[in-house]
Amino acid sequence: MAATTESVRADAAEAPLLNKKNMILGSLLYVVFYAWVRWYEGIYGWSAGLDSFAPEFETYWMNFLYIEFVLEVSTAGILWGYIWKTRDRKVMSITPREELRRHFTHWTWLVMYAFAIYYGASYFTEQDGTWHQTIVRDTDFTPSHIIEFYLSYPIYIITGGACFLYAKTRLPTYQQGLHLQYMVAVVGPFMILPNVGLNEWGHTFWFMEELFVAPLHYGFVFFGWAALGVMGVVNTEVAAIAKLLKKDLA
Amino acid sequence: MSASQSAVRSRAEAVKVSRTFDWLILFTLFFVVLGGYHIHYMLTGGDWDFWTDWKDRRLWVTVAPIVSITFPAAVQAVLWWRYRLPFGAVVCILGLLLGEWVNRYMNFWGWTYFPVNFCFPSNLMPGAIVLDVVLMLTNSMTITAVIGGMAYGLLFYPGNWPVIAPLHVPVEYNGMMMTLADLQGYHYVRTGTPEYIRMVEKGTLRTFGKDVAPVSAFFSAFVSILIYFLWHFFGKWFGGTSFTQSS
Repeated sequence: MAATTESVRADAAEAPLLNKKNMILGSLLYVVFYAWVRWYEGIYGWSAGLDSFAPEFETYWMNFLYIEFVLEVSTAGILWGYIWKTRDRKVMSITPREELRRHFTHWTWLVMYAFAIYYGASYFTEQDGTWHQTIVRDTDFTPSHIIEFYLSYPIYIITGGACFLYAKTRLPTYQQGLHLQYMVAVVGPFMILPNVGLNEWGHTFWFMEELFVAPLHYGFVFFGWAALGVMGVVNTEVAAIAKLLKKDLA
Repeated sequence: MSASQSAVRSRAEAVKVSRTFDWLILFTLFFVVLGGYHIHYMLTGGDWDFWTDWKDRRLWVTVAPIVSITFPAAVQAVLWWRYRLPFGAVVCILGLLLGEWVNRYMNFWGWTYFPVNFCFPSNLMPGAIVLDVVLMLTNSMTITAVIGGMAYGLLFYPGNWPVIAPLHVPVEYNGMMMTLADLQGYHYVRTGTPEYIRMVEKGTLRTFGKDVAPVSAFFSAFVSILIYFLWHFFGKWFGGTSFTQSS
Protein backbone atom coordinates (compact mmCIF):
# COMPACT_ATOMS: atom_id res chain seq x y z
CA MET A 1 0.00 0.00 0.00
CA ALA A 2 2.74 2.34 1.01
CA ALA A 3 4.61 1.52 -2.16
CA THR A 4 1.49 2.24 -4.22
CA THR A 5 1.01 5.60 -2.57
CA GLU A 6 4.63 6.46 -3.16
CA SER A 7 4.31 5.46 -6.80
CA VAL A 8 1.22 7.64 -7.31
CA ARG A 9 2.98 10.59 -5.71
CA ALA A 10 5.99 10.06 -7.89
CA ASP A 11 3.74 9.99 -10.98
CA ALA A 12 2.02 13.19 -9.95
CA ALA A 13 5.33 14.90 -9.48
CA GLU A 14 7.03 13.68 -12.65
CA ALA A 15 7.67 15.96 -15.58
CA PRO A 16 4.91 16.15 -18.20
CA LEU A 17 5.39 14.19 -21.42
CA LEU A 18 5.19 17.35 -23.48
CA ASN A 19 6.53 20.51 -21.90
CA LYS A 20 4.06 22.99 -23.40
CA LYS A 21 5.77 25.92 -21.73
CA ASN A 22 8.98 25.21 -23.61
CA MET A 23 7.07 24.79 -26.86
CA ILE A 24 5.26 28.13 -26.48
CA LEU A 25 8.34 30.02 -25.30
CA GLY A 26 10.45 28.58 -28.11
CA SER A 27 7.86 29.48 -30.74
CA LEU A 28 7.51 32.99 -29.34
CA LEU A 29 11.28 33.38 -29.39
CA TYR A 30 11.37 32.88 -33.17
CA VAL A 31 8.21 34.82 -33.99
CA VAL A 32 8.94 37.85 -31.80
CA PHE A 33 12.62 37.97 -32.75
CA TYR A 34 11.86 37.87 -36.47
CA ALA A 35 9.09 40.45 -36.08
CA TRP A 36 11.71 42.74 -34.55
CA VAL A 37 14.14 41.95 -37.38
CA ARG A 38 11.48 42.79 -39.95
CA TRP A 39 10.77 46.06 -38.15
CA TYR A 40 14.50 46.88 -38.19
CA GLU A 41 14.66 46.18 -41.95
CA GLY A 42 11.66 48.40 -42.55
CA ILE A 43 13.19 51.30 -40.67
CA TYR A 44 16.88 51.07 -41.60
CA GLY A 45 16.69 49.36 -45.00
CA TRP A 46 15.62 52.51 -46.80
CA SER A 47 17.12 55.10 -44.48
CA ALA A 48 20.61 53.55 -44.12
CA GLY A 49 20.85 50.56 -46.43
CA LEU A 50 21.00 51.95 -49.98
CA ASP A 51 24.65 52.99 -50.21
CA SER A 52 27.25 50.69 -48.69
CA PHE A 53 29.86 53.49 -48.77
CA ALA A 54 27.81 55.75 -46.53
CA PRO A 55 28.78 56.01 -42.83
CA GLU A 56 25.25 55.17 -41.71
CA PHE A 57 25.49 51.87 -43.58
CA GLU A 58 28.46 50.94 -41.40
CA THR A 59 26.56 52.00 -38.29
CA TYR A 60 23.27 50.25 -38.89
CA TRP A 61 24.13 47.32 -41.16
CA MET A 62 27.79 46.31 -40.92
CA ASN A 63 27.69 46.51 -37.14
CA PHE A 64 24.54 44.41 -37.22
CA LEU A 65 26.48 41.86 -39.31
CA TYR A 66 29.48 41.77 -36.95
CA ILE A 67 27.25 41.38 -33.90
CA GLU A 68 25.23 38.55 -35.44
CA PHE A 69 28.41 36.69 -36.45
CA VAL A 70 29.63 36.73 -32.86
CA LEU A 71 26.26 35.77 -31.42
CA GLU A 72 25.74 32.93 -33.90
CA VAL A 73 29.12 31.34 -33.34
CA SER A 74 28.67 31.66 -29.56
CA THR A 75 25.13 30.26 -29.65
CA ALA A 76 26.12 27.31 -31.82
CA GLY A 77 29.11 26.53 -29.64
CA ILE A 78 27.22 26.79 -26.36
CA LEU A 79 24.03 25.02 -27.51
CA TRP A 80 25.62 22.18 -29.43
CA GLY A 81 28.32 21.83 -26.76
CA TYR A 82 25.69 21.64 -24.03
CA ILE A 83 23.64 19.01 -25.83
CA TRP A 84 26.72 16.92 -26.50
CA LYS A 85 28.24 17.40 -23.04
CA THR A 86 25.03 16.39 -21.26
CA ARG A 87 24.43 13.37 -23.50
CA ASP A 88 22.98 10.22 -22.03
CA ARG A 89 25.69 7.57 -21.94
CA LYS A 90 23.18 4.85 -21.07
CA VAL A 91 20.61 5.81 -23.64
CA MET A 92 19.67 2.21 -24.46
CA SER A 93 18.51 1.50 -20.92
CA ILE A 94 15.97 4.28 -20.40
CA THR A 95 12.35 3.42 -19.58
CA PRO A 96 9.72 3.50 -22.35
CA ARG A 97 8.02 6.48 -20.69
CA GLU A 98 11.26 8.42 -20.56
CA GLU A 99 11.82 7.54 -24.20
CA LEU A 100 8.38 8.88 -25.07
CA ARG A 101 9.09 12.06 -23.12
CA ARG A 102 12.31 12.53 -25.09
CA HIS A 103 10.46 12.02 -28.36
CA PHE A 104 8.19 14.90 -27.34
CA THR A 105 11.24 17.04 -26.56
CA HIS A 106 12.72 16.03 -29.89
CA TRP A 107 9.54 17.16 -31.62
CA THR A 108 9.68 20.45 -29.75
CA TRP A 109 13.07 20.94 -31.38
CA LEU A 110 11.70 19.89 -34.77
CA VAL A 111 8.84 22.41 -34.48
CA MET A 112 11.48 25.08 -33.84
CA TYR A 113 13.32 23.82 -36.93
CA ALA A 114 10.07 24.28 -38.88
CA PHE A 115 9.88 27.91 -37.76
CA ALA A 116 13.55 28.45 -38.57
CA ILE A 117 13.32 26.88 -42.04
CA TYR A 118 10.17 28.84 -42.84
CA TYR A 119 11.75 32.17 -41.99
CA GLY A 120 15.06 31.35 -43.66
CA ALA A 121 14.08 29.55 -46.86
CA SER A 122 10.70 31.16 -47.48
CA TYR A 123 10.23 34.51 -45.79
CA PHE A 124 13.65 36.12 -46.00
CA THR A 125 14.73 34.46 -49.26
CA GLU A 126 11.83 35.71 -51.35
CA GLN A 127 12.10 39.03 -49.56
CA ASP A 128 15.67 39.22 -50.87
CA GLY A 129 14.20 38.91 -54.38
CA THR A 130 12.04 41.98 -54.12
CA TRP A 131 14.81 44.00 -52.45
CA HIS A 132 17.36 43.25 -55.17
CA GLN A 133 14.91 43.63 -58.00
CA THR A 134 14.20 47.08 -56.63
CA ILE A 135 17.55 48.29 -55.30
CA VAL A 136 20.78 48.01 -57.30
CA ARG A 137 23.37 46.19 -55.21
CA ASP A 138 26.78 47.73 -54.55
CA THR A 139 28.05 45.22 -51.99
CA ASP A 140 27.77 41.55 -51.09
CA PHE A 141 26.53 42.59 -47.68
CA THR A 142 23.25 44.22 -48.60
CA PRO A 143 20.60 44.73 -45.90
CA SER A 144 18.57 41.79 -47.18
CA HIS A 145 21.67 39.54 -47.32
CA ILE A 146 22.72 40.51 -43.80
CA ILE A 147 19.37 39.22 -42.62
CA GLU A 148 18.80 36.35 -45.03
CA PHE A 149 22.20 34.73 -45.53
CA TYR A 150 23.96 35.69 -42.34
CA LEU A 151 21.13 35.63 -39.79
CA SER A 152 18.19 33.45 -40.84
CA TYR A 153 20.33 30.72 -42.46
CA PRO A 154 22.70 30.32 -39.49
CA ILE A 155 19.68 30.22 -37.19
CA TYR A 156 18.13 27.29 -39.02
CA ILE A 157 21.53 25.59 -39.19
CA ILE A 158 21.93 25.98 -35.42
CA THR A 159 18.38 24.74 -34.83
CA GLY A 160 18.72 21.81 -37.23
CA GLY A 161 22.04 20.82 -35.70
CA ALA A 162 20.44 20.91 -32.25
CA CYS A 163 17.59 18.63 -33.43
CA PHE A 164 19.99 16.11 -34.89
CA LEU A 165 22.31 16.17 -31.89
CA TYR A 166 19.40 15.79 -29.47
CA ALA A 167 18.11 12.76 -31.37
CA LYS A 168 21.56 11.22 -31.61
CA THR A 169 22.48 11.71 -27.96
CA ARG A 170 19.19 10.93 -26.23
CA LEU A 171 16.95 8.67 -28.30
CA PRO A 172 17.51 4.90 -28.67
CA THR A 173 15.91 5.09 -32.14
CA TYR A 174 18.96 6.85 -33.54
CA GLN A 175 21.70 4.76 -31.95
CA GLN A 176 22.20 2.22 -34.76
CA GLY A 177 24.23 4.64 -36.89
CA LEU A 178 23.65 7.95 -38.60
CA HIS A 179 20.15 8.45 -39.98
CA LEU A 180 20.75 9.22 -43.64
CA GLN A 181 17.60 11.24 -44.39
CA TYR A 182 17.93 13.14 -41.11
CA MET A 183 21.47 14.11 -42.09
CA VAL A 184 20.21 15.18 -45.52
CA ALA A 185 17.45 17.27 -43.91
CA VAL A 186 19.97 19.06 -41.71
CA VAL A 187 23.17 19.11 -43.78
CA GLY A 188 21.46 19.93 -47.11
CA PRO A 189 19.94 23.22 -45.95
CA PHE A 190 23.23 23.89 -44.16
CA MET A 191 24.99 23.66 -47.54
CA ILE A 192 22.91 26.60 -48.74
CA LEU A 193 25.14 28.83 -46.60
CA PRO A 194 28.46 27.79 -48.24
CA ASN A 195 26.67 28.11 -51.58
CA VAL A 196 26.37 31.82 -50.80
CA GLY A 197 30.07 31.93 -51.75
CA LEU A 198 29.22 30.87 -55.30
CA ASN A 199 26.30 33.27 -55.38
CA GLU A 200 28.33 36.28 -54.32
CA TRP A 201 31.24 35.35 -56.57
CA GLY A 202 28.88 35.13 -59.52
CA HIS A 203 27.11 38.38 -58.75
CA THR A 204 30.39 40.25 -58.46
CA PHE A 205 31.82 38.60 -61.57
CA TRP A 206 29.16 38.87 -64.23
CA PHE A 207 25.67 39.37 -62.98
CA MET A 208 24.66 42.61 -61.32
CA GLU A 209 20.99 42.47 -62.16
CA GLU A 210 18.52 40.36 -60.31
CA LEU A 211 17.03 37.48 -62.26
CA PHE A 212 15.80 35.04 -59.66
CA VAL A 213 15.61 32.07 -62.03
CA ALA A 214 19.23 32.54 -63.15
CA PRO A 215 21.34 29.33 -63.19
CA LEU A 216 23.65 31.04 -60.71
CA HIS A 217 20.96 30.40 -58.08
CA TYR A 218 20.43 26.70 -58.78
CA GLY A 219 22.77 25.66 -55.99
CA PHE A 220 20.20 27.01 -53.53
CA VAL A 221 17.53 24.99 -55.30
CA PHE A 222 19.48 21.74 -55.13
CA PHE A 223 20.17 22.08 -51.43
CA GLY A 224 16.60 23.23 -50.79
CA TRP A 225 15.40 19.84 -52.00
CA ALA A 226 17.17 18.34 -49.02
CA ALA A 227 14.41 19.71 -46.78
CA LEU A 228 12.35 16.77 -48.05
CA GLY A 229 14.55 14.57 -45.88
CA VAL A 230 12.16 15.56 -43.08
CA MET A 231 9.81 12.93 -44.53
CA GLY A 232 12.33 10.24 -43.63
CA VAL A 233 12.53 11.66 -40.11
CA VAL A 234 8.73 11.60 -39.86
CA ASN A 235 8.60 7.98 -41.03
CA THR A 236 11.24 6.94 -38.51
CA GLU A 237 9.51 8.81 -35.70
CA VAL A 238 6.07 7.41 -36.53
CA ALA A 239 7.45 3.86 -36.42
CA ALA A 240 9.28 4.49 -33.13
CA ILE A 241 6.34 6.18 -31.42
CA ALA A 242 3.88 3.55 -32.64
CA LYS A 243 6.15 0.88 -31.22
CA LEU A 244 6.23 2.65 -27.86
CA LEU A 245 2.47 3.10 -27.72
CA LYS A 246 1.61 -0.40 -28.85
CA LYS A 247 3.46 -2.17 -26.08
CA ASP A 248 1.35 -3.76 -23.33
CA LEU A 249 -0.21 -1.19 -21.05
CA ALA A 250 1.34 -1.16 -17.58
CA MET B 1 10.45 -2.14 -16.18
CA SER B 2 9.70 -4.80 -18.71
CA ALA B 3 10.93 -4.29 -22.23
CA SER B 4 7.41 -4.92 -23.45
CA GLN B 5 5.89 -2.35 -21.11
CA SER B 6 4.02 0.55 -22.66
CA ALA B 7 5.15 4.13 -22.38
CA VAL B 8 1.59 5.19 -21.56
CA ARG B 9 -0.67 4.23 -18.70
CA SER B 10 -4.08 4.01 -20.32
CA ARG B 11 -5.67 3.79 -23.72
CA ALA B 12 -6.96 7.33 -23.27
CA GLU B 13 -3.43 8.58 -22.72
CA ALA B 14 -2.21 6.61 -25.74
CA VAL B 15 -4.85 8.28 -27.90
CA LYS B 16 -4.00 11.71 -26.53
CA VAL B 17 -0.29 11.18 -27.12
CA SER B 18 -0.94 9.94 -30.64
CA ARG B 19 -3.12 12.94 -31.52
CA THR B 20 -0.59 15.35 -30.08
CA PHE B 21 2.14 13.83 -32.22
CA ASP B 22 -0.14 14.11 -35.26
CA TRP B 23 -0.33 17.87 -34.80
CA LEU B 24 3.39 18.26 -34.14
CA ILE B 25 4.20 16.19 -37.23
CA LEU B 26 1.75 18.02 -39.47
CA PHE B 27 3.00 21.43 -38.36
CA THR B 28 6.63 20.50 -38.86
CA LEU B 29 6.07 18.74 -42.17
CA PHE B 30 3.99 21.65 -43.46
CA PHE B 31 6.52 24.35 -42.69
CA VAL B 32 9.69 22.43 -43.56
CA VAL B 33 8.20 21.36 -46.90
CA LEU B 34 6.98 24.94 -47.37
CA GLY B 35 10.53 26.22 -46.92
CA GLY B 36 12.13 23.74 -49.31
CA TYR B 37 9.36 24.05 -51.89
CA HIS B 38 9.29 27.82 -51.78
CA ILE B 39 13.04 28.26 -52.30
CA HIS B 40 12.87 25.73 -55.15
CA TYR B 41 9.91 27.41 -56.82
CA MET B 42 11.05 31.01 -56.42
CA LEU B 43 14.45 30.22 -57.97
CA THR B 44 13.19 28.08 -60.85
CA GLY B 45 9.98 29.90 -61.80
CA GLY B 46 9.87 32.85 -59.46
CA ASP B 47 10.21 35.75 -61.83
CA TRP B 48 7.14 34.64 -63.77
CA ASP B 49 5.32 34.26 -60.50
CA PHE B 50 6.35 37.57 -58.95
CA TRP B 51 5.10 40.07 -61.49
CA THR B 52 2.01 40.35 -63.66
CA ASP B 53 4.05 41.64 -66.61
CA TRP B 54 5.98 38.33 -66.57
CA LYS B 55 2.73 36.32 -66.56
CA ASP B 56 2.63 35.84 -70.30
CA ARG B 57 1.02 33.31 -72.64
CA ARG B 58 4.26 31.47 -73.34
CA LEU B 59 6.90 30.98 -70.66
CA TRP B 60 4.80 31.43 -67.51
CA VAL B 61 2.35 28.83 -68.79
CA THR B 62 5.22 26.49 -69.68
CA VAL B 63 7.55 26.91 -66.72
CA ALA B 64 5.28 27.25 -63.67
CA PRO B 65 3.59 23.79 -63.82
CA ILE B 66 6.81 21.99 -64.73
CA VAL B 67 8.78 23.34 -61.79
CA SER B 68 5.89 23.22 -59.33
CA ILE B 69 4.77 19.60 -59.79
CA THR B 70 8.01 18.45 -58.15
CA PHE B 71 7.31 18.66 -54.42
CA PRO B 72 3.65 17.54 -54.73
CA ALA B 73 4.83 14.36 -56.46
CA ALA B 74 7.48 13.74 -53.80
CA VAL B 75 5.16 14.38 -50.85
CA GLN B 76 2.41 12.23 -52.38
CA ALA B 77 4.97 9.43 -52.58
CA VAL B 78 5.12 9.42 -48.78
CA LEU B 79 1.73 10.63 -47.59
CA TRP B 80 -0.26 8.33 -49.88
CA TRP B 81 2.00 5.34 -50.25
CA ARG B 82 2.79 5.11 -46.53
CA TYR B 83 -0.22 6.62 -44.77
CA ARG B 84 -3.03 6.67 -47.34
CA LEU B 85 -3.43 10.40 -46.81
CA PRO B 86 -4.85 11.79 -50.06
CA PHE B 87 -3.70 15.38 -49.70
CA GLY B 88 0.01 15.42 -50.49
CA ALA B 89 -0.25 17.78 -53.46
CA VAL B 90 -2.80 20.11 -51.86
CA VAL B 91 -0.81 20.44 -48.64
CA CYS B 92 2.30 21.35 -50.65
CA ILE B 93 0.48 23.99 -52.67
CA LEU B 94 -1.22 25.39 -49.56
CA GLY B 95 2.20 25.74 -47.98
CA LEU B 96 3.68 27.38 -51.04
CA LEU B 97 0.77 29.78 -51.39
CA LEU B 98 0.92 30.70 -47.71
CA GLY B 99 4.64 31.44 -47.98
CA GLU B 100 4.09 33.46 -51.15
CA TRP B 101 1.10 35.45 -49.97
CA VAL B 102 2.75 36.37 -46.67
CA ASN B 103 5.78 37.50 -48.64
CA ARG B 104 3.99 39.40 -51.33
CA TYR B 105 2.01 41.32 -48.73
CA MET B 106 4.64 41.80 -46.04
CA ASN B 107 7.66 42.36 -48.27
CA PHE B 108 6.78 43.10 -51.90
CA TRP B 109 4.16 45.52 -50.68
CA GLY B 110 5.26 46.16 -47.10
CA TRP B 111 8.96 46.78 -47.79
CA THR B 112 9.35 47.69 -51.46
CA TYR B 113 5.87 49.10 -52.05
CA PHE B 114 4.68 47.19 -55.11
CA PRO B 115 0.88 46.92 -55.09
CA VAL B 116 -0.43 43.42 -54.48
CA ASN B 117 -2.33 43.40 -57.78
CA PHE B 118 1.07 43.62 -59.49
CA CYS B 119 2.83 40.87 -57.54
CA PHE B 120 0.23 38.29 -56.47
CA PRO B 121 1.26 34.62 -56.81
CA SER B 122 -0.03 32.18 -59.42
CA ASN B 123 -2.91 29.89 -58.52
CA LEU B 124 -1.72 26.28 -58.49
CA MET B 125 -4.62 24.82 -56.55
CA PRO B 126 -6.83 23.35 -59.34
CA GLY B 127 -4.04 21.14 -60.62
CA ALA B 128 -3.13 20.03 -57.09
CA ILE B 129 -6.71 19.00 -56.32
CA VAL B 130 -6.89 16.98 -59.52
CA LEU B 131 -3.52 15.37 -58.79
CA ASP B 132 -4.70 14.23 -55.35
CA VAL B 133 -8.11 13.09 -56.57
CA VAL B 134 -6.64 11.04 -59.41
CA LEU B 135 -4.23 9.34 -57.02
CA MET B 136 -6.98 8.66 -54.49
CA LEU B 137 -9.37 7.21 -57.07
CA THR B 138 -6.87 5.14 -59.01
CA ASN B 139 -4.26 4.24 -56.38
CA SER B 140 -1.86 4.17 -59.30
CA MET B 141 1.35 6.16 -59.58
CA THR B 142 1.44 5.65 -63.34
CA ILE B 143 -2.11 6.91 -63.93
CA THR B 144 -1.52 9.81 -61.55
CA ALA B 145 1.62 10.76 -63.43
CA VAL B 146 0.02 10.52 -66.88
CA ILE B 147 -3.52 11.77 -66.23
CA GLY B 148 -2.88 13.85 -63.13
CA GLY B 149 0.39 15.26 -64.43
CA MET B 150 -1.19 16.18 -67.72
CA ALA B 151 -4.17 17.78 -65.99
CA TYR B 152 -1.78 19.67 -63.72
CA GLY B 153 -0.12 21.27 -66.74
CA LEU B 154 -3.28 21.87 -68.71
CA LEU B 155 -5.29 23.36 -65.85
CA PHE B 156 -2.71 25.97 -64.92
CA TYR B 157 -3.70 28.61 -67.45
CA PRO B 158 -7.48 28.22 -67.12
CA GLY B 159 -7.03 28.21 -63.34
CA ASN B 160 -5.33 31.58 -63.53
CA TRP B 161 -7.39 33.02 -66.33
CA PRO B 162 -10.05 34.77 -64.22
CA VAL B 163 -7.29 36.61 -62.34
CA ILE B 164 -4.96 37.48 -65.18
CA ALA B 165 -7.48 38.18 -67.99
CA PRO B 166 -8.27 41.75 -66.90
CA LEU B 167 -4.54 42.51 -66.99
CA HIS B 168 -4.11 41.10 -70.49
CA VAL B 169 -6.48 43.53 -72.16
CA PRO B 170 -4.71 45.71 -74.71
CA VAL B 171 -4.03 49.37 -74.02
CA GLU B 172 -2.49 52.09 -76.13
CA TYR B 173 0.13 54.16 -74.33
CA ASN B 174 2.26 56.89 -75.95
CA GLY B 175 1.52 55.43 -79.37
CA MET B 176 2.47 51.86 -78.38
CA MET B 177 0.14 48.94 -77.84
CA MET B 178 0.75 46.80 -74.83
CA THR B 179 -1.14 44.93 -72.14
CA LEU B 180 -2.30 46.46 -68.91
CA ALA B 181 0.21 44.18 -67.16
CA ASP B 182 3.03 45.62 -69.29
CA LEU B 183 1.87 49.07 -68.29
CA GLN B 184 2.07 48.13 -64.61
CA GLY B 185 5.67 47.10 -65.22
CA TYR B 186 6.50 50.43 -66.84
CA HIS B 187 5.02 52.40 -63.97
CA TYR B 188 6.41 50.34 -61.10
CA VAL B 189 10.09 50.40 -62.00
CA ARG B 190 12.27 47.57 -60.72
CA THR B 191 15.70 49.15 -60.98
CA GLY B 192 17.55 45.91 -60.35
CA THR B 193 15.60 44.04 -63.02
CA PRO B 194 15.93 45.92 -66.29
CA GLU B 195 13.49 45.38 -69.12
CA TYR B 196 16.05 43.47 -71.23
CA ILE B 197 16.02 40.49 -68.89
CA ARG B 198 12.23 40.13 -68.90
CA MET B 199 11.48 36.81 -70.63
CA VAL B 200 8.01 36.98 -72.10
CA GLU B 201 6.34 36.11 -75.41
CA LYS B 202 9.63 34.85 -76.86
CA GLY B 203 10.02 32.67 -79.93
CA THR B 204 8.31 32.15 -83.25
CA LEU B 205 5.24 30.41 -81.89
CA ARG B 206 3.67 33.83 -81.47
CA THR B 207 2.95 33.81 -85.19
CA PHE B 208 0.33 31.18 -84.35
CA GLY B 209 -1.58 33.99 -82.66
CA LYS B 210 -4.28 32.71 -80.36
CA ASP B 211 -2.80 29.22 -80.08
CA VAL B 212 0.23 30.21 -78.00
CA ALA B 213 -1.27 29.54 -74.57
CA PRO B 214 -2.88 26.14 -75.32
CA VAL B 215 0.22 24.87 -77.12
CA SER B 216 2.42 26.02 -74.24
CA ALA B 217 0.06 24.39 -71.74
CA PHE B 218 0.14 21.14 -73.69
CA PHE B 219 3.93 21.12 -73.78
CA SER B 220 3.99 21.93 -70.08
CA ALA B 221 1.59 19.03 -69.43
CA PHE B 222 3.90 16.65 -71.30
CA VAL B 223 6.96 17.65 -69.27
CA SER B 224 4.92 17.66 -66.05
CA ILE B 225 4.21 13.96 -66.61
CA LEU B 226 7.91 13.18 -66.86
CA ILE B 227 8.77 15.35 -63.86
CA TYR B 228 6.07 13.63 -61.80
CA PHE B 229 7.67 10.23 -62.42
CA LEU B 230 11.08 11.53 -61.49
CA TRP B 231 9.99 13.28 -58.32
CA HIS B 232 7.86 10.37 -57.18
CA PHE B 233 11.06 8.37 -56.88
CA PHE B 234 12.87 11.31 -55.28
CA GLY B 235 10.07 11.38 -52.70
CA LYS B 236 10.40 7.66 -52.05
CA TRP B 237 14.11 8.10 -51.39
CA PHE B 238 13.64 11.13 -49.15
CA GLY B 239 11.03 9.20 -47.16
CA GLY B 240 13.50 6.39 -46.50
CA THR B 241 14.61 5.44 -43.01
CA SER B 242 18.06 4.08 -43.68
CA PHE B 243 21.04 4.41 -41.39
CA THR B 244 24.68 4.55 -42.27
CA GLN B 245 26.67 1.82 -40.57
CA SER B 246 27.78 2.60 -37.05
CA SER B 247 31.54 2.29 -36.67
